[in-house]
Amino acid sequence: MDILLDVQGIHTFIGQYHILQGVDVSIPQGAITALLGRNGAGKTTTLKSILGLTPPRQGRVIFRGREIQGMRSFEIAALGIGFVPEHRAVFRDLTVEENLKIAERKKGDYPRKQDFIFTLFPDLKRLIGLMGTNLSGGQQQMLAIARALVADNQLLLIDEPSEGLAPVLIEQLIKAIHQLSADSTVVLVEQNFLVASQLAEYYVIIEEGRSVRQGKMKDLIQDKETIHRYLEAA
Amino acid sequence: MNVFIRRNLLLIIVLAALFGIFAAAAQGMETQDFVITLLRGLSVGSLTFLVASGFSIIFGLLDVLNLAHGTLFMIGAYIGWTVYVRPDTFLDIVIPFILILSGFFLRDVWVSLAMRGLFAGRMKRILPWLGLLIAILILVVILPRYPIATWSVDNYAESPTSISYLAGQGQYILPPPTSFDEISPILAFGGLIMASLVGAFSLSILGGGKQPLQARISWRSFIGFTILLLLAFIIFIFNDPITNALAVLNGNLLFLVALLVAVGSGALLGSLMESTLIRPLYVRPIYQLMLTLGLSAIGIEMVRSLWGRPEFTMPRPELFAGTGEGCPAASLAGWWNYHCSTMILLDGRIRVYNEIFIPTIGLVVLIGVWVLLKRTRLGMVIRAGVQDREMVEALGINVRRVFTQVFALGVGLAALGGVLAAPSIGLSNVMGESFLLNALIALAIGGLTSYPGAALGSLLVGLLQQFIIKYGAIGIPIPYTDLVFKPTPPIVPASTILLMVIVLLILPNGLLGKKE
Repeated sequence: MDILLDVQGIHTFIGQYHILQGVDVSIPQGAITALLGRNGAGKTTTLKSILGLTPPRQGRVIFRGREIQGMRSFEIAALGIGFVPEHRAVFRDLTVEENLKIAERKKGDYPRKQDFIFTLFPDLKRLIGLMGTNLSGGQQQMLAIARALVADNQLLLIDEPSEGLAPVLIEQLIKAIHQLSADSTVVLVEQNFLVASQLAEYYVIIEEGRSVRQGKMKDLIQDKETIHRYLEAA
Repeated sequence: MNVFIRRNLLLIIVLAALFGIFAAAAQGMETQDFVITLLRGLSVGSLTFLVASGFSIIFGLLDVLNLAHGTLFMIGAYIGWTVYVRPDTFLDIVIPFILILSGFFLRDVWVSLAMRGLFAGRMKRILPWLGLLIAILILVVILPRYPIATWSVDNYAESPTSISYLAGQGQYILPPPTSFDEISPILAFGGLIMASLVGAFSLSILGGGKQPLQARISWRSFIGFTILLLLAFIIFIFNDPITNALAVLNGNLLFLVALLVAVGSGALLGSLMESTLIRPLYVRPIYQLMLTLGLSAIGIEMVRSLWGRPEFTMPRPELFAGTGEGCPAASLAGWWNYHCSTMILLDGRIRVYNEIFIPTIGLVVLIGVWVLLKRTRLGMVIRAGVQDREMVEALGINVRRVFTQVFALGVGLAALGGVLAAPSIGLSNVMGESFLLNALIALAIGGLTSYPGAALGSLLVGLLQQFIIKYGAIGIPIPYTDLVFKPTPPIVPASTILLMVIVLLILPNGLLGKKE
């Protein structure tokens, strides 16, 4: 099992708050890994720390054998990491097409990936001229994921994809993420354990800023005690 | 469509009311007065727009309220004046300027040298500061001794005021060229290049961050460096012929050169300001306000010490200065043939430069910037960044560089406004302040970060002011009485603020502002 991304003992502060107090995560290549944990445990901050949006003060982040902590966010992203933030942050004043085009890292990325993106999310093709602000929640989520697929990314960081979506849409989404994980490694933050367990092959549990458990999802599903202790509402 | 009307009902009512007032104002005057007032309003509106649009784009993307924007408008005017009226001075300044700039083209070389650990540990911390000190020392020694043909602020006959006056009369007499007396040219050149290399090295290392990534040495940096040096030497060797050529150059072309130089210097000044002073303060908004306010005061004092305190004029380019045969022109074609300063439009007499040229440039900039925002990748990144900078950065886009470009664009637009305004309203140290105030009111009316809002607000402010001024002369008859109300001059600025208050009471985000 090759490790694509290795996070070693990172500590991250937001303002004066010590949010991450030692997170170790190993992301195997070519699989979906879910970051699990209760609200405020530090899952989103872990994603943002990998990307340098909230730079870690201590610890190392190694992506494809290269230390990336301390680099600027755009440089980290340009190494091949795509980010889908929570709350579906599509650009409201840009059309759907512009939302995709802006993610080009090389000229021609968008035309090249167009077919792939529209097979995954057929709805987007029809909405291409609409402004981001006019999309429904589900459409925005599709667009946010599609945007991360425009450039050649080996790793996708997806934050809370199912949040606030109707069950029908969640099913569609699970299918799409499954499909795209054939080409790239995915790290998923997911509150909804049902969704996470359907998607992910590996899991990491984060509790109060520390990574406390990691392993294979199929083992976790059996392990009622761990689920009860870390994931169910306290 | 129904949804659109329902959502924007207030806006439509306000716009209709404004149009009604406008129509009523138009009824009250003769057609010729109305046309002149309208065009004057467009003119003031255009200049206001040049300040407001830059201010608004900078605020939208960077969250920086650049209170120095009016001062930069004024500095643009003074730079433009210098190029237009004293090309010899301009050329003399260009040479040391290019030399100082040249070293920065080798930035990649310095960064990669630093990265290869040629000087590690303590040396890496001390060397840049030492280098900076040396560079500043060299500059302090050489620059005051470098010969620059200039004017005298104290001697009235050689002051900008007199020079402008004479130039306006067509007496374009440049003083004899200066020569190297206090310092040998070789020493001056060598010293400036040295200072540039050492200074650029220090600043690259200091500003390079912890892990500069792209620092491959490319031939391009050496080629840029060499071209700049060659350029400086060529200008130096052919200084006198170029000066003479510029001096006898068609005044219109020289004016164009002045416009371009002012915009370019504004953009450069803007990018320097952003990358050195404002960048460290993005996390401290209050400090930014203090910084830009302070820079504004510093800018005004610097201009006072260099160009003097009194106001002076900038001659209009020949294209707009004719008064002889065939003038005032009967039509635009007549103006083109005789280069008249005025023309007759609907029985009224208008000044071509103020009332036709400035609004035209305003319209060109309006469309140009709109195309930039809507049709280019940079514009796309700006529009996206206004909403969510973090996400743009996470896509692999260097937002900081875009910040610098946007600041340069905004200040460049302000400088363009300044140099455009100079032949019309003259130069003074405080000419920018009233335009900054106008621009702020225009943005409050139109919507702070909305580009169309900046245009609409500027237009309204310009029109309102000019109509009030005109009615100050002809008076407003009050219905059912014999009284005539004549707005006094203090009502002019007050009226725009009143309009702002009314608009904000009804639409708190301005006419076209986004609802938060």
